[in-house]
Amino acid sequence: MRIIAIASLLFGGVGAGAGAGAAPPAQQGEPEAYLFYVASESEDEVTLLRFTAGEGLTIEKVISVGVLPAEIEGPHGVYVDPDGSHWYLTLGHGFPFGSLWKYETGSDTAVGRIELGLFPSTVSVPPVGGLAFAVNSNFYGDPEPSTISIIDLASMIEIERTETCTMPHGSRFSPDGLRHYSTCMLDDVLVELDVATLDVARRLDLSPPSGSGAVCSPTWAMPASSGEYVYVACNKSHELLEVRLEDWVITWRISAPTAPYNIALTPDDEKIVVTQKGSAEVSVWRRSTGERIALIPSARRVTHGVVVSPDGRYAFVSVEGIGGERGAVDVIDLQDLQRVATADVGKQAGGIAFWKVVS
Amino acid sequence: MRIRNCSITLGLLGLLPSVLAAQTPVRIALSSATLSVAVGDRVQLTAQVSDADGNQLDVPVRFYSSARRDFPISRDGVLQPVKGGEFVAFVRVNTARNVRDSLVFNIDFPPVREVSMAPTGERFFVGATVRHRSTVIDASDAVRKDVPVTWSTSDPGVASVDRFGRLTAHREGMVTLSARAEDVSASHRYRVVANPIATLSLTMSQDSARTGDVLHATAVALDARGQRVEDAPITYTLVSHAADSVVAQYPPAEVDQQGRFVAQNAGEYTVMAITPGHVAQQTILITNRFVTQEVQFIGHAAVRDVKTSDLWIWEGIDGRDYAVTGTHGANGAAYFWDVTDPSNPEMIDSIVVDARTVNDVKISEDGRVAVISREGASNRRNGLLVLDVTNPRDVKIHAAFDDGLTGGVHNVFIYDNHIYAINNGRRFDVINIEDPKNPHRVGRFELDTPGHGIHDVWVVDGIAYTSNWADGVVLVDVGNGIMGGSPSNPVEIARYSDFDGATHAAFPYRSPTGRFYIIMGDERGGARFDGLQPGTPGLMAGYMHFVDFTDPLNPEEVARYEVPEAGSHNMWIEDDKLYAAFYQGGLRVVDISGELKGNLYLQGREIARYMAYDPEGFVPNSPMTWGPQPYKGNLFFAEFYSGLWAVKLQPRVKLTQ
Repeated sequence: MRIIAIASLLFGGVGAGAGAGAAPPAQQGEPEAYLFYVASESEDEVTLLRFTAGEGLTIEKVISVGVLPAEIEGPHGVYVDPDGSHWYLTLGHGFPFGSLWKYETGSDTAVGRIELGLFPSTVSVPPVGGLAFAVNSNFYGDPEPSTISIIDLASMIEIERTETCTMPHGSRFSPDGLRHYSTCMLDDVLVELDVATLDVARRLDLSPPSGSGAVCSPTWAMPASSGEYVYVACNKSHELLEVRLEDWVITWRISAPTAPYNIALTPDDEKIVVTQKGSAEVSVWRRSTGERIALIPSARRVTHGVVVSPDGRYAFVSVEGIGGERGAVDVIDLQDLQRVATADVGKQAGGIAFWKVVS
Repeated sequence: MRIRNCSITLGLLGLLPSVLAAQTPVRIALSSATLSVAVGDRVQLTAQVSDADGNQLDVPVRFYSSARRDFPISRDGVLQPVKGGEFVAFVRVNTARNVRDSLVFNIDFPPVREVSMAPTGERFFVGATVRHRSTVIDASDAVRKDVPVTWSTSDPGVASVDRFGRLTAHREGMVTLSARAEDVSASHRYRVVANPIATLSLTMSQDSARTGDVLHATAVALDARGQRVEDAPITYTLVSHAADSVVAQYPPAEVDQQGRFVAQNAGEYTVMAITPGHVAQQTILITNRFVTQEVQFIGHAAVRDVKTSDLWIWEGIDGRDYAVTGTHGANGAAYFWDVTDPSNPEMIDSIVVDARTVNDVKISEDGRVAVISREGASNRRNGLLVLDVTNPRDVKIHAAFDDGLTGGVHNVFIYDNHIYAINNGRRFDVINIEDPKNPHRVGRFELDTPGHGIHDVWVVDGIAYTSNWADGVVLVDVGNGIMGGSPSNPVEIARYSDFDGATHAAFPYRSPTGRFYIIMGDERGGARFDGLQPGTPGLMAGYMHFVDFTDPLNPEEVARYEVPEAGSHNMWIEDDKLYAAFYQGGLRVVDISGELKGNLYLQGREIARYMAYDPEGFVPNSPMTWGPQPYKGNLFFAEFYSGLWAVKLQPRVKLTQ
């Protein structure tokens, strides 16, 4: 197998929806395959999947994670290092604190661990690598301000915990890696961190218009590759927001199907792909017009995470399932706007991260 | 912190890309005015960032430490260590991948502030040897074990001391024993007197016993007038003649300096008491314990499609016997069984909730109300369910309760119309269910130790025995009254943490001997292997700690039950028997009669074991025992991979010769 490109190296973590440029060309006659990881929170598993157009979606490997086989430790966020050498995983549960784990890609062997705060969830790495930002969501504790843990990935030392807000979640870096955006599920706030100083640079109130009685409960912040906008999912007010970074204002607020949750963009910023957790669908939007161009049912209930391939052709979507249902991964063809493959994975599939394109 | 400015003038706009490339940080150098740093010093670290051309850049940098608590470094590089040792200081440019540097510091420890020694007394007998221990504390209040301690006496002719602090008196006189660490010393003045001991006798509490029985040695020193010498230094030791003399065996017996003796192997043991000029001894005969009993399989309520968690067996209000079992990492189900005929358990109902794990199930004392815990709800609102089990064939939901319990309830207990619920692994909440359709919180209890967590709660006689990982077992008055506690006002009574710091379950046991033990079970992961695939059995580790809580203010860990290469889980105690689930080690029944000391596994106290092999199990033929419950002469237990089992201990049979 020849590696054509390490996608995130070229595109600054397209798994996070960032980056721009065309996909590496496939060798003639050789189908391109896309490899990505999915974490299953109620199975303590991470699954490595391979999708090849025309051949389908297959499971390459299932990796058991955690240290206690008889306890659910809750793998939640997963992210592949931009250089493709490692992947990083948050475990939500501990005694009581969660942790960040560092795995080698390929061998999928754990090589590092650091204890973080209460229920670390989303994790992301800037395009230049070197640091991980993991939000300590504290999903279940008293509603009090929580933090973002910043970890030096070479030493696996937590170098800072920056307090942001109550129940931080859904965070990603700007394409230049100089800004980090996260949401505050219980404060209706978008937070911008200055990566150079690790301080909060700006906060933006995302609350729906006064008098509406609704709350946004933002669950994801996804910067565009252009570096001009951040897109936010308001999970409870069922809205998709565009925030212009230059003047830090909400430029549009559009109605979405039930409970938008995670967001990814195509590398050309043309399409916005949103998981609709409540309606078990994936919505696809034309960014330039704010027009919804597709609503694609998921394989089962509780649609969760999404990542777009570096060439912008496919979206890979994790679906949690409910109760005893298996989790699932759906592949959506963003050209034809339809689901083209599904595979079962462990229960409560959530975090999803793109690794690489191979032929 | 900003590094000093270094301006770059852009000549032509066309040169911008190359100039920008040159401005990209590629190197950082960390420096300190001195590497000789002591605790309490304040040192400013500096860093210089440069680009590929060696130009110094003005970019933000971040300093950090390999050990934030002991070796804190402020974000702008002020180092102020609070403990000695080897640490690493780091600095990096956050916006670059590998532009980082580090410096290793060997921090001088602060000077010793205090040395103390023990034991001490007024007089010391000629010929006596007593080991003394020292405690060294430095100026940062840290107890130091790395500082050499030098022992000396003021007059070696009167008494000499070796490097271990063992003081031996040679002749009468005054002598000062000193322990010195750095420039600080402690001293104690003894009056060495002629040895008044005329006779020494030793009495064992029994002259024969079985392995595992604790015998007490009592040595009495008398002077020439027949008066007891209360301060006679007594050392207990023993000589072993174990029946099993296989090379490299564990020590076959032990005696501590309180005179408590216990043997693991059968044989002859001579217990000795030594005091200056006198040795007293008594030989005792130890025979094998011979407590093993056969186990008869009774029945199996198979659950093979999902993993099974906890169980509870109870007598329903109709007089029939029922069981409820939970499920783990599965479909949110709890199963109800009629086990009146345990050889033919019948599933009679089930409840399925939005959850992946129903980790715990409990039934009220009157058999009318059940509580089941929830974890993994799709909407992340977990909590618990209160069920009406007056007719276990038609279980109904009284109420779902998740107020403040969204994080998941891992374990529950019902006691006196209240549910004690482990809330998000942080505290326990007390929920009143006098009206089970309207549960409401009346109290909560949470430790205040840094990073505390809680795993389990079990309530007996108004005392909640909570299991708190590193904080060990904590006893909480929730209605006993000993501390004025109540369900709405839980009050801590006492606590004990063990060496392992992995306390997962605790069970109280008031022994007929009058002693009160708490058994603390570890939960630790076992060895893992690369390539371990889902569908293969997991491995667990850990053991059960026996803590003598007879004096709750001075608990003493006295014994352990450890199954090699297996890990402890839930337990039950009834009639001097410990029923212990040991995951891959199966179900164990242990004789815990009498006083307890030492390694119960090696003492032959194991009465029975049962390995529940199920060829069709969730993981085939892989015992993974979760929890036991003795009930009406049968022993029920939950198996992670195969459901509910019932076995029966058979009477011990003495074979005729």
